[in-house]
Amino acid sequence: MPSHKAAPHKAANDFEPDAIVVGSGAAGGMAAWVLARAGIKVLVLEAGRDYDPVKENAMLKWNYQAPLRAGSTPDKHFGFYDATADGGWEIAGEPYTNAPGSVFKWWRSRMLGGRTNHWGRHVPRFGPYDFKSHSRDGLGMDWPISYDDIAPWYDRTEKIVGVSGANSGLENHPDSSPGVLQPPTPPRINELAIKAGANALGIPCVPSRYAVLTRDIPDDDVPRQACFYASPCGRGCAIGAAFQSTTSFLPMAIATGKARILTDAMVSRVVMGADGKATGVEYLDRHTGTAHFIKARAVVLAASACETARLLLNSKDGGLANSSGQVGRNLVDTTGTNVSGHIPALENRPRYNEDGKDVAHLYIPWWLYKEQAAGKLDFPRGYHYEIGGRFHAPGAGSPAAGLEDGYGAPLKEDARRYYGAQISLTVRGEMIPNADSYCELDPQVKDRFGLPVLRFHWKFSDHEYRQIAHGIATARAIIEKLGGTVLTPQLPPEEAIAVGGWIIHEVGTTRMGTSADNSVTDQYGRAWDVDNLVIADGGVFTSNAHKNPTLTIMALAWRSMDHLAARMRKGEV
Amino acid sequence: MSGKIDRRTTLAWVTAAAASPWMQDAMAQNAIAQGAAQPDAAQPGTWPNMELPPVTARGYGSDPNLVDPTVPWPLTLSPAQRAMLKSIAGAMLPGDDRSPSAASLPIDAFIDEWVSAPYPQQQADRALILPGLAWLDAECKARFGHDFAAAGEEQRRAVFDDIAWRGREKQGYQTPARFFARLRGLMMAGFYSLPEGMKDIGYIGNAPSTEWPGPPREALAHLDAGLEKLGLRPVR
Repeated sequence: MPSHKAAPHKAANDFEPDAIVVGSGAAGGMAAWVLARAGIKVLVLEAGRDYDPVKENAMLKWNYQAPLRAGSTPDKHFGFYDATADGGWEIAGEPYTNAPGSVFKWWRSRMLGGRTNHWGRHVPRFGPYDFKSHSRDGLGMDWPISYDDIAPWYDRTEKIVGVSGANSGLENHPDSSPGVLQPPTPPRINELAIKAGANALGIPCVPSRYAVLTRDIPDDDVPRQACFYASPCGRGCAIGAAFQSTTSFLPMAIATGKARILTDAMVSRVVMGADGKATGVEYLDRHTGTAHFIKARAVVLAASACETARLLLNSKDGGLANSSGQVGRNLVDTTGTNVSGHIPALENRPRYNEDGKDVAHLYIPWWLYKEQAAGKLDFPRGYHYEIGGRFHAPGAGSPAAGLEDGYGAPLKEDARRYYGAQISLTVRGEMIPNADSYCELDPQVKDRFGLPVLRFHWKFSDHEYRQIAHGIATARAIIEKLGGTVLTPQLPPEEAIAVGGWIIHEVGTTRMGTSADNSVTDQYGRAWDVDNLVIADGGVFTSNAHKNPTLTIMALAWRSMDHLAARMRKGEV
Repeated sequence: MSGKIDRRTTLAWVTAAAASPWMQDAMAQNAIAQGAAQPDAAQPGTWPNMELPPVTARGYGSDPNLVDPTVPWPLTLSPAQRAMLKSIAGAMLPGDDRSPSAASLPIDAFIDEWVSAPYPQQQADRALILPGLAWLDAECKARFGHDFAAAGEEQRRAVFDDIAWRGREKQGYQTPARFFARLRGLMMAGFYSLPEGMKDIGYIGNAPSTEWPGPPREALAHLDAGLEKLGLRPVR
């Protein structure tokens, strides 16, 4: 077991930080580590409680040992054993609201390490097209950077995070440099079946990339072990194989001697000086509500896209760093829907330990770039499928997936026959920013600290509906190619699409751009309006390719922190 | 292996899967968007109209102890209801050479834990299962002159056969059939997640290992044979 060095609960009185990082998840953890290793004294402020992923996780516990066989409840949406502590779609005393006619769900964590403790860990790279999609189809806005600008940070991030997988060589799915990726894991039977069906339709199915180690990463202070091929990653990973901030960046930052962490510290506003620069932040002790001020030369916001937007909007009338009017705007999620099927050819298949790396070992990347460029599709942006189906650990659902019938001896035969004979294709697609999807301060509602809460506005466009329709039709074709029966009720795309926020890929609320007119930050996350305020989370995304955002959040955060550290060393901040 | 599947079976599967917890996530999304669908009306005259006081106990909250889990809400079923569930479990999942009878395992306790939980899904199940147990008693009384506990195996089978088989429910017995299907799903969840059930069904994971070699030869051969019948090329 690695030695997780518990962070001190209280910043020592004699610790005067050079930089404050708000948030301790993927972006905040990365920011803290990059700044600390550059010799900059960093204080991380986390709104949630302290969390020890070694002592508190439920790895290897059986579903029958938990209430309701560990199934989903409103208290624990992803099941009893999910690592999320004090978080979820709703947090007591900290509401958010939806404007009339809008449905947006906001998943938050209130714990050290934030959402990295339980995230999906699927880490495809954005490709060259994804940074310049406006140039390709005239929609949205191009990023101020190109793929080549960020490629070196992708390599570095993958190496330090630890990504197992393989290069595919496919269009707009960039390869990693040699020596970066750890070895992939062999496919499971159902994944091979999906691959056979997809390939027969001309659709690729390739090794996935996940932030799960297949080789040890030795380190004197923060060693991490290769996956031991048991226990769902969402429970948190005590051996550090499945990446999370609490077993990597945070203890790595602490090990430099330059970083401290303060939990239960809810940052309420960025405090500004007369010179137009941030002088520090005000935070509220989560237990007492007492306000404190901490001074620093630089403030880094990594609270998650919407929480960071809220913080800016609460820091100044009309919003801090908001001369562009873009704070809270351009809010997007990933589009999502799921199509499942029963495959008779997989009935009664031979048993083996199919846990593997827990995550999917193969996936289907977007494959129709040429058709899209040629105008042959009726939607502009792509999607991928995350695929599933295996001998799951039985829990709160029937292992026969609802296909069972009758009772008695035939029922027991059904259980054996249908167990592990289903597949699922989960669509994850790109949403294009639109004027009707954004967050703002609710004019009335406040949280238990007295801070105004976010009100969400949400609307999909035909771009998303047509894309989802294509994703559903193609998934059905793959299932049928395998001689299977689609189990998911066939709904129109307007009903099949997951509601806004449901995929938990919300980004774009403080987007980066080429000028203070069209964006909140420059290409290094630096607020155009506040020279020593840097945004490191997914808020800075100019567009949100269908490729899961966290790898790109971390790579951008590293790049931005290198830039900030260099400026601080030169005395520019 | 499967033979030909007719359209009726296919449709039945789709309906059944839509009601299964496996599909809950997708269905929940839609429910959020559209407002949950109302269950169809109870059978007039036959389905008992029970006043069920809501369960007001507290749940385990958003930050429970994961290392030493406990069920914080009190169980609510009567000894008679528990006994009834035990005997239904025995009929549902009888013992054979691969696993013991569900009546010999704490499946009745699991159902009690489930229907006593203060969450919306479990409360909806409570509103189906408790009347369902009362219906079983009433049905036995109407047909045989005594309650379910006094019914013999033949009599119980006669009642089950009217509600247990998809597409063959007796006319007017749709709600009792829905009760039976839901109870069956829950009993299967309870049974197959226990060590005895996992052994039967062949789940052999949750076992840490330094290597994961992938599917063994016989599993690949089974897949390839299946793909070949479908005219598909095996892949690796």
